[in-house]
Amino acid sequence: MTTQQQDMINNDVYEDQQTPQVITPKDIRRMAWRSLFLQASFNYERMQANGWLYTIMPALRKIHKNENDLKKSMGMHLEFFNTHPFLVTFISGLVLAMEEAKERIDTIRAIKVSTMGPGGGIGDAVFWLTLLSICGGVGASFSLNGSWLGPIFFLVLFNLVHFGIRFGLASYGYKMGVSAIKTLKDQTRKLAHAASIVGLTVIGAMTASYVKLDSGLQLVREVKGADEPFVYTLQGSLIDPIMPALLPLLWTMFILWRIKKGSSPLRLVLWTVVFGLFCTVLPVVVKMVFGWDIIDPAVLSTRMGY
Amino acid sequence: METLADVTLWQALGVAIFAGIAGIDLFNVLTHIHRPIIAGPIVGLILGDPEKGLIAGATFELMWMGLVPLAGAQPPNVVLGGIIGTAFAIVTGQTAEQAILVAVPFAIFVQICITFLFTAYSPLMSVADRYVKNLNFAGIANLNYLGMTILFVFYSVIAFSVIYFGADAAKQLVTLIPKWITDGLQVAGSLMPAIGFGILLNIMLQRQYIAYYLLGFLLAAYFQQPLLAIALVGLVFALIEYYLRDSAPEKATANNTVVEEEEGI
Repeated sequence: MTTQQQDMINNDVYEDQQTPQVITPKDIRRMAWRSLFLQASFNYERMQANGWLYTIMPALRKIHKNENDLKKSMGMHLEFFNTHPFLVTFISGLVLAMEEAKERIDTIRAIKVSTMGPGGGIGDAVFWLTLLSICGGVGASFSLNGSWLGPIFFLVLFNLVHFGIRFGLASYGYKMGVSAIKTLKDQTRKLAHAASIVGLTVIGAMTASYVKLDSGLQLVREVKGADEPFVYTLQGSLIDPIMPALLPLLWTMFILWRIKKGSSPLRLVLWTVVFGLFCTVLPVVVKMVFGWDIIDPAVLSTRMGY
Repeated sequence: METLADVTLWQALGVAIFAGIAGIDLFNVLTHIHRPIIAGPIVGLILGDPEKGLIAGATFELMWMGLVPLAGAQPPNVVLGGIIGTAFAIVTGQTAEQAILVAVPFAIFVQICITFLFTAYSPLMSVADRYVKNLNFAGIANLNYLGMTILFVFYSVIAFSVIYFGADAAKQLVTLIPKWITDGLQVAGSLMPAIGFGILLNIMLQRQYIAYYLLGFLLAAYFQQPLLAIALVGLVFALIEYYLRDSAPEKATANNTVVEEEEGI
């Protein structure tokens, strides 16, 4: 064995191999508080790395009394890191248990890297897409009725889950240690599946409730001998009896199709504005060119500046 | 438009300080006071019209539901979009759907600035490497605090300038805009939630979940049930899947999880 190989192996092993239990529940709570600042120095080179090191630094200092070990450990923890900010405490709890047990550095790194990716994917689906949509959607429906319950409901429910998860996972991760990884992976799969079901049910409901597309199209004809003109509304007479909110559903599917085709949300925002303006100008143009009222004549006249 | 209220220096400063705190909250602490549903009423309180802020905030919340930072990608900035949009809705007497005309350009402008900020912070990682070699613990912590300070100043300055110096100009503009434009923006605004839902569906709507999307849609469209009730119905199905169908979900989500892992790392 060459000295170089010998060095590489030694680099992965902590010099001080004593493993007294130094991490207390208080240390774990402190780590969870500091994890609130995981993304304070976010950047595209290492993403959350510096915030991650900031999170576990006090515990690392307690574990590694040997200065060389502390430098090695901190250096490894300043490598690229990116996961979901709510689930990070599970990984840091796990990592601290391994650091305390003086595991090999490359093992700790492997565990860190293999948990942060799925953590990000699951966290995005469960918290950003599901929890936030449900709390925001329900809260906003209260707010729109003028009820202050809206913001209160949102803030309380969201943060009950948020801080419960953050602090719960911190001690859970630490206690489970290395052996937990496999069983937890099975559970999160099932959890993500269950969360998707609730999430999509709610998004379906919101498509019907919050996307509004009322064509306003109608046919107005003066009828000889009658006092009232003949009015046929497209929405009331044709679309609504088939399926209420059919147009919003079709529009949402159209947007989904465009996103799948690679349109950026930004471009879709701009096109939505263009579409909205087109819809309001069209009746004005039709009135000027053909003299027909294809929407409510009262609305039309204010648009034309009468 | 005779009800227009002028924004005082103190009100603009108040909104600026809140914008700074909300800007930090977008990435740190994450209590989500930065979401429009909370920011709207708070900006409303500062500007003297909490009711309007409440409604405008809720409207922006629904429009921008899907705008979350997925896997580190920056969406248009909901923080300043929501705050500036609400402030303009209150000051100019517009609806939230109309104020989005003012809000969207700023949301995009801030998105670009944040991307720039995250790029500009990258070189500081070599400084962090040096701190580790010297065991400079305070240095590591200060890099974190510096990042938050920059965010606070950045958000405050933008919110203050737009609201204090821009409000008058915006009021003048609003009276010049013809009815068909504001009507058109109203139509566009009512359609905006579809974009948020589209983003969510693009990520979440796999074949095995289409039935649940339709379930939610039909309960709302034909039966007009409230959202919370529909969410609870969804929860019932989730519990059934979780507890009664042990093997099926494993099979159904196996592909999905593999993809997530690949994308995540």
